[in-house]
Amino acid sequence: MSSLNILYVEDDPLAASAVQALVGQGGDRLAWEQSGRAGLQRAAADQFDVIILDRMLPDLDGLSVVTRLRAAGVETPVLMLSALGRSENRIEGLDAGVDDYLAKPYEPQELIARVKALHRRASGKVHGAVIIYGALECHVKARTAFRAGRHIALSPREFELFRYFMENAGETVTREMLLRDVWNMNFDPQTNVVDVNIGRLRRKLEDGFTTPALETIWGAGYRLTACE
Amino acid sequence: MTSGVTSRRGASIVWRIATASLLVAILAVTLLFAASYATVERSTHEALAATVTTDLAGLIDIHASGGEAELLRRVADRRDVVNLEDGRRPHYLVARTNGRPIGGDLHVWPPLSAALSAEGYVTLPDRTPVYARAARLGPDLQLLVAREYAQDRATLKRLAQIFLGVGAAIIIAVALIAVLTARGLAKRIDRIQEGLRNAAEGYPAALESPSGPGDEIDELARQGGRLLARQANLVRLQKNMSDHVAHEIRTPLMHLDGRLAAALQERPEPGGTGALTRSRGDIRSIVAMLDSLLDIASNEGRRGDLAGLAELDLSALLGDLAALYEGSVEEAGLTLETAIEPGVTMLGERMQIVRLVSNLLDNAIKYVPAGGTVSLKLSQGPRIMVADDGPGIPFEDRGRIFERFARSAGQVSQPGHGLGLALARAIAQRHGLVLRLADSPRGACFMVEPEA
Repeated sequence: MSSLNILYVEDDPLAASAVQALVGQGGDRLAWEQSGRAGLQRAAADQFDVIILDRMLPDLDGLSVVTRLRAAGVETPVLMLSALGRSENRIEGLDAGVDDYLAKPYEPQELIARVKALHRRASGKVHGAVIIYGALECHVKARTAFRAGRHIALSPREFELFRYFMENAGETVTREMLLRDVWNMNFDPQTNVVDVNIGRLRRKLEDGFTTPALETIWGAGYRLTACE
Repeated sequence: MTSGVTSRRGASIVWRIATASLLVAILAVTLLFAASYATVERSTHEALAATVTTDLAGLIDIHASGGEAELLRRVADRRDVVNLEDGRRPHYLVARTNGRPIGGDLHVWPPLSAALSAEGYVTLPDRTPVYARAARLGPDLQLLVAREYAQDRATLKRLAQIFLGVGAAIIIAVALIAVLTARGLAKRIDRIQEGLRNAAEGYPAALESPSGPGDEIDELARQGGRLLARQANLVRLQKNMSDHVAHEIRTPLMHLDGRLAAALQERPEPGGTGALTRSRGDIRSIVAMLDSLLDIASNEGRRGDLAGLAELDLSALLGDLAALYEGSVEEAGLTLETAIEPGVTMLGERMQIVRLVSNLLDNAIKYVPAGGTVSLKLSQGPRIMVADDGPGIPFEDRGRIFERFARSAGQVSQPGHGLGLALARAIAQRHGLVLRLADSPRGACFMVEPEA
């Protein structure tokens, strides 16, 4: 995937430098604005792939920035980064038109994974009836999975999980993305429910093979690998 | 937003007053009519009786002074002078005591006793109604004087018609004024009611009407509006306070976490069990605890508040949740039994309801030893049951398990802050539900059901 053009609106220089370093590592471009108004002007003037918006800004708060952007017809996906992480705060963000909401403190890898996922979602890639990645095959209509030509028996929910990984092959998928897109749930579980489900899928995908199929990205989530 | 704004008319004070004033108007008109009718009827009767008596007295005088012949002549004269002065046509009969007529226009003696000077309403042989009075003039002579009174009846009838017309007009006018006034008042009171109901359910509310006449109702609305504004301000301040506390605690923790992450990059800790990794875990745990505390406070504060709630398919939601937890339950060596009635819906905040049920499931998974069963049931109500056959809740702890930081002696070895059930209960309350520990033969049985 080509490098992304990201707008980052954040008033805390310490937090900003951390994100700048992180984005720079991945080869994406980051434009940094320090206030809500400046961010709003920049977002309206230039073309960005994703906007990362802090919620509490000195002049115009993040929620108002999103509301105004949406009112002005700017549909660039917005990820809100906030120290307000309660579900009530998340709902306020989503209601205002934010596409994703990440609470501080966060894992840097998770931020990057989410930004990429937002961009993928916005570009609306359409998958065919059969998705092939490495030795893995997902037959969407027949709802069957194969690895190296060998059929893998999956429960309906495991198949949905597998299909989601195949659609996002090679990319980091976070627990929240899985909850939202596979289980249709928007919450932050305090336990390892998601990991347990991934573990079961992983065992089925790797049973009888020597190379791993699912990789854990510490602090961010999981990634499907182009296994043999 | 809300429905059924207009109060039931039967129970409304305004409509009761309107109905009462209408009834009073009807009663007043009826009484007035009855009294007037009786008075007029009595005075016309008296006038009629007086006319007859005067006429009779005159003729008795004539008989006394002029004798029978003079009487007969005068009676004939009076008949000739058709007296219509007041529409009371006169009739006379001079007869022997056996009733044989000798003068006057009548021929049959009516059933009135001349000896007793009787008087009364009688009907003549030609069916004309008259008022008559008889008198005995001599040993074998009696006289009857009668007057028609059809004109008097016509006057009374006209009076009744006038009353009927004017009375009906008055009643209609009163009814109209009562309905219009009642409707106007009801509308203004309904407006205040709707405002208060909206405020109680957490929606924005306006009580005051800019076009009001400034009377008592407007004053009531104004004071109510002040109270609501004050309350809204308190809610906002409380939320701002929570947000600020969260922000001010999270920001330094985030910086601390960033430094720990940087240090970890320089000196990785394989296996994720080193001090730095554990410290990062602690930071997340503190943040989670803070969020739970603020969520509990927020949910408790928004009890009965319907704003932000949407119709959600609880059956589908619990189905998804059961699918999500199936793995964890099996991993813990437990069996998950579900009995989810389809089509159960409720007004709720999706994320919070998921949190509520997942907290109960997390609890069961945490405390039920391998080999046990966890069951999740849903029926109309909505009634959600999460039960297990584990060790259950010790009797002495039953009263306080829903309190913040409540953990029984046997639980301290398990991770957690003891906020899960407090949060679950607060979420239930915010949705007009209660979370309680139900009696069960073994294990723990948590019930979420509508407030009684």
